[in-house]
Amino acid sequence: MTTTDINTTAVPRWWQSRVARRFFGHRLALLGLVMITLLTLACIFGPYLLPYDSLHIDLRGRFSPPMSGQHYLGTDPLGRDIAARLLTAGRISLLVGFFAMVLATILGTLIGVIAGYGGRVVNAVLMRFVDGFLSFPTIFMLLALAVALKPSPVMITIIIALTGWMEVARIVEAEVRSLKEREFVLAGRMLGLGKMHMMFREILPNCMGPIIVAATLTVARAILLEAYVSFLGFGIQPPLPSWGNMLNGAQQYLGSAPWLAIIPGIAITLAVTSFNFIGDGLRDALDVRNDSF
Amino acid sequence: MKKTKETGMTFTRRQTLRMMTAGGAIGIVAPNLLGKPAFAQTPPSEPTGRVVVGLSQEPTVFNPLMPHIETDDGVAFSIFDALFRITPEGEIVPNLATEVPTIENGGLSEDGLQWRVKLRDDVKWHDGEAFTAEDVKFTLELITNPDFRAWRTTGHDLVRDIEVVSPTEITWRMEEPFAPYISFLTETFIMPEHILGQAEDPNDAPFNQAPVGTGAFKWGSRQAGDNVSLVANPDYHGDGPYIEQLVFKYIPDMTVLYTQFRSGEVDLVGQAYITADNYAEAKALEDRVVTLEPRGTLESIYLNQALPVFQDKAVREALYYAIDRKSIIDILYFGVGGEAETFMPSTSSYFNPDLPEHSFDLEKAKSLLDEAGWVPGADGIREKDGLRLSFANSTTTGAHLREQAQQFIQQTYADIGVEMRIENLPPAVMWGEFWGQSQFESAMVGITYLIGADPDVTNRFHSDAIAAKSGSGSNNAQYSNPKVDSLLEEGAKTFDTERRKEIYKEIQAIIREDLPFLPLFRYVNVFGRKAGLEGFEANSNVRTESSNAALWYWS
Amino acid sequence: MAAFLFSRFLQSAVLLVIVSIIGFTVLNLMPGGPLSQFALDPGMTPADIARITEQLGLNRPLHIQYLEWAWGMLQGDWGTSFRDGSPVTAVIARHVPATLLLMGSSTVIAVAIGTWIGIRGATHRYSGFDYVATVGAMVALSIPTFWFGLIGIYVFSLKLGWLPAGNMYTIGDQSVLNYLHHLIMPSVVLALVHIAIWSRFMRGATLDAISQDFVKTARAKGVTERRVVMKHVVGNAMLPMITLAGVQIPSLLTGALVTETVFTWPGMGRLFLDSLGYSDYPVVMGLLMFSALLTIVANLIADITVALVDPRIRLA
Repeated sequence: MTTTDINTTAVPRWWQSRVARRFFGHRLALLGLVMITLLTLACIFGPYLLPYDSLHIDLRGRFSPPMSGQHYLGTDPLGRDIAARLLTAGRISLLVGFFAMVLATILGTLIGVIAGYGGRVVNAVLMRFVDGFLSFPTIFMLLALAVALKPSPVMITIIIALTGWMEVARIVEAEVRSLKEREFVLAGRMLGLGKMHMMFREILPNCMGPIIVAATLTVARAILLEAYVSFLGFGIQPPLPSWGNMLNGAQQYLGSAPWLAIIPGIAITLAVTSFNFIGDGLRDALDVRNDSF
Repeated sequence: MKKTKETGMTFTRRQTLRMMTAGGAIGIVAPNLLGKPAFAQTPPSEPTGRVVVGLSQEPTVFNPLMPHIETDDGVAFSIFDALFRITPEGEIVPNLATEVPTIENGGLSEDGLQWRVKLRDDVKWHDGEAFTAEDVKFTLELITNPDFRAWRTTGHDLVRDIEVVSPTEITWRMEEPFAPYISFLTETFIMPEHILGQAEDPNDAPFNQAPVGTGAFKWGSRQAGDNVSLVANPDYHGDGPYIEQLVFKYIPDMTVLYTQFRSGEVDLVGQAYITADNYAEAKALEDRVVTLEPRGTLESIYLNQALPVFQDKAVREALYYAIDRKSIIDILYFGVGGEAETFMPSTSSYFNPDLPEHSFDLEKAKSLLDEAGWVPGADGIREKDGLRLSFANSTTTGAHLREQAQQFIQQTYADIGVEMRIENLPPAVMWGEFWGQSQFESAMVGITYLIGADPDVTNRFHSDAIAAKSGSGSNNAQYSNPKVDSLLEEGAKTFDTERRKEIYKEIQAIIREDLPFLPLFRYVNVFGRKAGLEGFEANSNVRTESSNAALWYWS
Repeated sequence: MAAFLFSRFLQSAVLLVIVSIIGFTVLNLMPGGPLSQFALDPGMTPADIARITEQLGLNRPLHIQYLEWAWGMLQGDWGTSFRDGSPVTAVIARHVPATLLLMGSSTVIAVAIGTWIGIRGATHRYSGFDYVATVGAMVALSIPTFWFGLIGIYVFSLKLGWLPAGNMYTIGDQSVLNYLHHLIMPSVVLALVHIAIWSRFMRGATLDAISQDFVKTARAKGVTERRVVMKHVVGNAMLPMITLAGVQIPSLLTGALVTETVFTWPGMGRLFLDSLGYSDYPVVMGLLMFSALLTIVANLIADITVALVDPRIRLA
């Protein structure tokens, strides 16, 4: 998915471009890219390669520790193979993270562009709205929403997106506002191009850099949020596994079966770290101001 | 008689002095008296030591007439008294009353309508005021006061013409005979008229956050989110108390609760108890007494009788055969849980032991379905007359063991060609209209059927108690059997115990035959306490482990 | 200045209204409601539940309930907890100290360690230390807080037995040492993310300062490196530090919520989760408003401080 991100910004032979060279020169970003690619591939193909089904229950073989017997990563309280579950869960968590990012980015961009290009009043109203969302400790809102709505993966994705679009909106708004006064925009206006055309055909393509960086970091955030919410028991519900809900029951067995807690946590950390590394690399490569840490 | 505050302060000072002489410092008078010689098999003459009860839900409601949960009950039983109490054997004995009213002793009229209760004359409120029949009258009237947010009103709403005959005698009339009422009165804690009666609004009176009762312990202090601490009431009218301080400590995480029990920070594991997976380890701990205590709650799968597939009795039977109950109990619940065929607790004298036993038999289940005309369709799921044998099962999200059992059952059902979809909901959603108005298809629930020890279950199984149809009642499976209806009606009006036993045993047999729910297991709690904590008694007729804290002491 | 303050207050007020409407609607649209927890109580009939619903006024139209709640808020009446009947403000007040203790101690840890790492990273730019700190910060930002807490409990409580696995103090021993003992793990866990943020921030600020002329001058004059850093760098970074501290309040609260859950800490996060579980909406709303208020006020104070200290920043 990251490769496509790069594609959109690149000229033909994109790998020779300055951006690509700088990105690939960034060792951490490269490491992140490799890690997330491997993880994604494993999640897509792994479940087919493993001899166990992630849902197959074998009560007699429950709680077997990693590297003992046939289960590489051990089994859970129902005797299901953790490796199979981890990879299946990865599909859910990555998909939720990815689509939450897509939704959040679209929403944030839309609001950012309108706020940035619109007049004083539109800008003030929209940006106060953004501030309103930002001033909320996200998790409070997220939990309130998750309790109130039926927790399906789609719903969780939407909820995460709803609480994660503000950063993108802020970045886009700032960018659009600065671009608004540039010559090419003024020229376009003189030519009588419509507002819609100006906003989405002329200005938006010029904000792609910051948007891509923000989007990458949003994936990282979304994966973390899914884990938080599911860990607290309000997110993705069993039998569907997600990295967060695999951890949900794990605290109870911390003393007797610590691997139940350790393994999914490592997967989450790896995935999130990868996206953060990539985001950092892209920021350097695309020359985006380092303003939102 | 001394005034409120003075009494409290003198007591504290006396207490402190005693502690100083005994141990030199307050911290040393911890309950760590394990190595003491065995002469202390009788309770100490003065309240000594402290007991910390660990709870996984926080007690927050201290006025027990208002809606509250199980963990609040521990505090209620320690601070307040009811007219009667119920023993672990299910016998009702007097508490604030001097005797249990019966037809023989004249407390009850032949038709069960006139009640006469005699009260103790030696009971004092924690503030020194005397307890009288006025307090009882006040309490019963408060419960039915339309402005008061009362918890349970069943039974109380039948009470009329309450009359205080003397400070130690009270009478009333019931609108209609209601045998279970005596059981309800064991959990109806009497409130002080001279305090709560003076409050502007009893719903949010300061009293509710610093209650005054007649019980063995007085209100001490509270650290919200962490603990509630009670102190001994030296003027208690009954036996005890023998411990100086009773602390209810809130530890929301079950693992931490168990860890603190193991390390000794918690003396007694209360509500939610030791998790099944820790049972084996806990049993082996030194200086700890770990016991299995059966509870009155039955875990079962409710089948909504309004759903077409569940109207076929063969389906209900097949579904019961296809549950590997033994594996669920022995493996998922680590052997903690009892097999059961009925809603009636096995400890009850109304329990019917002669019901057919469940067996796990997939072949039998398949042949039952085959015979009834349910044949596997293209996707392996059975069908009959265009109806697929597929239904949803719901329970609350976050109940791990339940979710595990659910997924396990899903797998064996798939083996006989039945599709069970799992659609779990957050507790507040699950127990709202979804459950109350029978909108579920099937549900995995743990239900306590009895109040106190009375066997009346009209509210659960009478066809008039289907809220989705009649607007009130808790017959959530929408179960309807005219024979059961008439037996229930007879049982509620019968005061003869032997006849009642016959009635309720027959009801159990019919319900076992009809299978409106599939019994999974009887709840068994793993109780744990420090060795040396004597006087403890588990009582499955109340909702808390701490109903007799007055009698606890350290040996 | 007055105009600036006025417009900021106005914005904050509008914000609070928006926040409250969203929160109120979402919570009350949820099926079930606060009384559903009594559905399994054998002694409570649906008639009882209907009666209490009416007594609590929960059967009235939503907008009426909202207006009544909002009107009460304006007068300082935050409503009454469904669960225990006490005023919401009292319920929250009972839990605030624990959260403040946790947030405070973790901020101290984060600022102390973060500042040190940041300055050292900047003064030893591109050294091994700097590289490890950079990567470490990014990894720290990627670790789920609760998972870090679980691992901490596993290692330090279950395996080594050095630190308690939860609660704020041992019953019967409320000494300062006992509090500290219980405070170590949760505050370090909560601080992790913030150490990362502070260290990145301080590194940037220090690099900025080092490249500036007056530092070069000072160095040329032979002022020791330590003095240069302490005096100019930290001094210059003060302003953004204040802002950063304000901006981090929501994230601290979020972290506190998760940390309190893992370590059974009797604070507002714990209260929030418990109240959600009991559908105690007045308390949930109260906490939403309280946290929003805290955030807004912190940001406001940060803005004003910066404006007062640095006249170059244009107001409004």
